[in-house]
Amino acid sequence: MLKTLEETISLIEEGRILHIAADESLLEKLPKGKWIGGTTPYFMSEDGGIFTKEKLFVNEIDMAEEIRTAVYGKYNVFQIVEECYDNGLTMMIMPYGSEVAVKYAKEAPDVEELLMHPVAGWISGFDLDTESVAKAYDGLTGQSYTDKAVVMYIRLPEGKSAMVNMINIFTDDKTDPVIRFLDNDLSVTKCTVNGQEVNFAEYIKKKNIDTRMPLVADHNGSYINTSIKEVLEEKVDFYAPVFKNIDYRFAVNVKDYAEEFGRRIGEAGAKNPVVSCNCILNYQFGDLNGKKIPPYVGPVTFGEVAYQLLNQTLVYFEILG
Amino acid sequence: MDAAVSEKIKKLLRRELRYTSTNLAFNMMISKMQKKLDADPAAMDDCMKEMEMFLGKYPIVAKVDLANIAAL
Repeated sequence: MLKTLEETISLIEEGRILHIAADESLLEKLPKGKWIGGTTPYFMSEDGGIFTKEKLFVNEIDMAEEIRTAVYGKYNVFQIVEECYDNGLTMMIMPYGSEVAVKYAKEAPDVEELLMHPVAGWISGFDLDTESVAKAYDGLTGQSYTDKAVVMYIRLPEGKSAMVNMINIFTDDKTDPVIRFLDNDLSVTKCTVNGQEVNFAEYIKKKNIDTRMPLVADHNGSYINTSIKEVLEEKVDFYAPVFKNIDYRFAVNVKDYAEEFGRRIGEAGAKNPVVSCNCILNYQFGDLNGKKIPPYVGPVTFGEVAYQLLNQTLVYFEILG
Repeated sequence: MDAAVSEKIKKLLRRELRYTSTNLAFNMMISKMQKKLDADPAAMDDCMKEMEMFLGKYPIVAKVDLANIAAL
């Protein structure tokens, strides 16, 4: 929940294990301790969506038997698969636009054994009206990074296990054309639509597609989104990569995001999400400022991690058992 | 893993049966194994080994999924 700087410092000094999201101006004032954090001034609070640089969003990880933190760059980020606890959870925060985030986004789906260990996290961001920089913080060392992933490994008690999940308000219409891409990439020129090669930017313009709706891919009933960043003259840029050999369709238009979240949350049935994060694109396009989506409160983020990088999604984890 | 359940999982991976879990990782795993089999239909044994290892990592959720799959 949202806390003042003084409340957060007290929790750190008491030795609590914390996950913290806040504006850089507040994170810089925190003492060393058992916490990791990332920058964002946008939150989904108990009182609704809010922009604030006055408070920090703090989750206590009170079920942890033991924790370790680690920092990774683009060359070693997938060591998380070897270095995690056998019965645990890996929480990671990566700065928006960092090479490590790009590497993770492109390669995570193909990493052996990544799905064998629960991994949840988010991409840190900044106030969109400023020229700020996204950062990730390792509270144990007191260091912050603009180009590294900060990870907290959490060991869980025997008999407990972590489940990482997501709530996606987008789905597809199976009668819509199937779009396929030729490579794994964050920027594309060509694609095929129902098997016919086209220029993707031209296709979007010709069909007058609302690019606030992501591309969605059906992974055995779980829809994974890829959000469009910009449609240029000849190419299209994405916030997360598209992958070859995957069938994509544009998502069906969602009119009321808060209402759709309410419906999906009912279906998901998670009662006690420990940490959750929701995408800045949902916050912006769905006008979530002031709107509530209980019980999912947490930072509004520039990308979400549930094993792999996701877009326009709410990610959470809960502890079972 | 029970032989009957094992057969049903093979059918899931061959897309002859459909089952969606509440566990995101399981759905991603099924999707990944389906694509592996699309590329190499002879990879079923490898896929099943990987699937058993995966289910062993999520015992609490796997119990529910395996019961649901058995009932398909």
